[in-house]
Amino acid sequence: MRYNSFTYLLSEGFRNLFKNKKATMSSLVTMICAMFLFGIFFAIGENVNTIMEQVNMAQGMEVFIDIDATDEEISELGNKIRSLGGVNSATLKTKQEALDSVKDELKDFQTLLEGFEGVFPASYIVTLTDLNLSEQVKSEILQMENVDEIMSSDQTIELLIKIANGVRVAIAVIFVLLIIIAITIISNTIKLTVHARRKEISIMKYVGATNSFIRGPFIVEGIIIGIIAALITVCIVGVLYNVIIEKIESSMILQQMQVSLLQFQDLSRYILIVYAVLGIGIGIVGSSISMRKYLEV
Amino acid sequence: MIEFKNVTKIYSTGTEAVHNASFTIEKGEFAFLVGSSGSGKSTLIKLILKEEEANKGNIIINGKDITFLKPKRVPFLRRSMGVVFQDFRLLPDKTVYENVAFAMYIVKATPRHIRRQVPMVLSLVGLSNKAKCYPNELSGGEQQRVALARALVNNPTMIIADEPTGNLDPVTAWDIMNLLNEINARGTTVVMATHAQDIVDKMKKRVIQIDKGIIVRDDKKGGYNSEIQ
Ligand SMILES: Nc1ncnc2c1ncn2[C@@H]1O[C@H](COP(=O)(O)OP(=O)(O)O)[C@@H](O)[C@H]1O
Ligand SMILES: [Mg+2]
Repeated sequence: MRYNSFTYLLSEGFRNLFKNKKATMSSLVTMICAMFLFGIFFAIGENVNTIMEQVNMAQGMEVFIDIDATDEEISELGNKIRSLGGVNSATLKTKQEALDSVKDELKDFQTLLEGFEGVFPASYIVTLTDLNLSEQVKSEILQMENVDEIMSSDQTIELLIKIANGVRVAIAVIFVLLIIIAITIISNTIKLTVHARRKEISIMKYVGATNSFIRGPFIVEGIIIGIIAALITVCIVGVLYNVIIEKIESSMILQQMQVSLLQFQDLSRYILIVYAVLGIGIGIVGSSISMRKYLEV
Repeated sequence: MIEFKNVTKIYSTGTEAVHNASFTIEKGEFAFLVGSSGSGKSTLIKLILKEEEANKGNIIINGKDITFLKPKRVPFLRRSMGVVFQDFRLLPDKTVYENVAFAMYIVKATPRHIRRQVPMVLSLVGLSNKAKCYPNELSGGEQQRVALARALVNNPTMIIADEPTGNLDPVTAWDIMNLLNEINARGTTVVMATHAQDIVDKMKKRVIQIDKGIIVRDDKKGGYNSEIQ
């Protein structure tokens, strides 16, 4: 037998897992359920965000320019708007284009416009990088010279912001619940192994093992449970996500809204990181909690 | 080496297991702690190991007062002593070699040092040919010799033994006593709690007798039952 810290920790960690198959299984299942729930809400949240972005890109707000502004003033205003924080783009719609679009809408009644050619102001279509900045950007633009008024589809935006914030709160709540549940479950599982191995632990203490040395394998046990649960959950969430996304995308609503949803690949990196951090963190905290009593010899 | 100054231990149940005990065991000494069952021998051992805290008095080990030793430092205190118990306390799923090597691994000895040292102590206790056996394949005496090898492997300054012959037949018990004697002859302090009268009588070593928690006799070369002076 060759002793090396890494192989020692791993082999002891796995030995703990197998010594206690039932408890290991039940904590794996609970971890997977909790992580699954989180994964689903995370996916919903990310999709709401991406939908918001797309809707915003498509609509933006329209900044109308004073009718008597010169071309130079107009392009200067464009630069000013683009330099604002939170602004994604500002596209000029000239007087002529404004007129054309009105004409398009009126179609057969274009004659009505005769004599009114000069009254349609030029405007900038401004899109944002973040919908939450909408109010702030709006007030900043209103203070600029040559700005007449701003039109935006506030209601749509407000609704989207409400949904997004709601989902965020739900994610946060579930996240906290997940952590509490997982720590409880893992620490209980490890308590069982620790109990099964209390004789060994006391022997180690008599030989002069430090607490951190004794704790090592149990922390590894917790980490292994966390990682295995994370891997399994990523697979489940991935498969399920793709099935559901396919169903939704083939339905009419999204096509009407002209938005597309995220692919699982876009999400998987974040989910994996969150799961890995969770698994490892919970493993460490859970096993530390469960060891406290047994280390007091 | 080991000094008790007016040490009293009262368990949370209210039992006063040690009352105002004072004695000094010098470096290289061989001392028996004797007394009937329940007299407080194991409690004295546990106080030395800092497994229990004294309620009163001071305990000085190797020149250091351990009365207020931080829990974090306890493992390092224990590394200066090899411990042997009545029930051997070997790891059942590790071989003889692994059981001994484990004690070195715990104190972060290098693999080279472990490979050199473990066979040496196994041969000292006469178990070189059983290195690959598991504890349940050994007799009681052999298991106790493994425990002794484990206690010795990190070169402790003292061996603390609580009834090491308690589970052994008389012949095997003497094997262990001879080993302890040999270890002591090499300069290691030995403190052994026992109520085995014949062993104490024949060994002619120092005897510290405890009765109901009180040290009633401390005899430099006494037998178990010598008259109280
Ligand atoms: N952990 C404990 N809690 C309460 N009482 C104890 C504990 N350990 C020992 N005692 C009591 O302390 C006294 C001395 O016990 P012990 O030191 O084990 O004696 P010995 O080893 O000489 O048989 C006994 O009365 C015993 O019941
Ligand atoms: Mg005892």
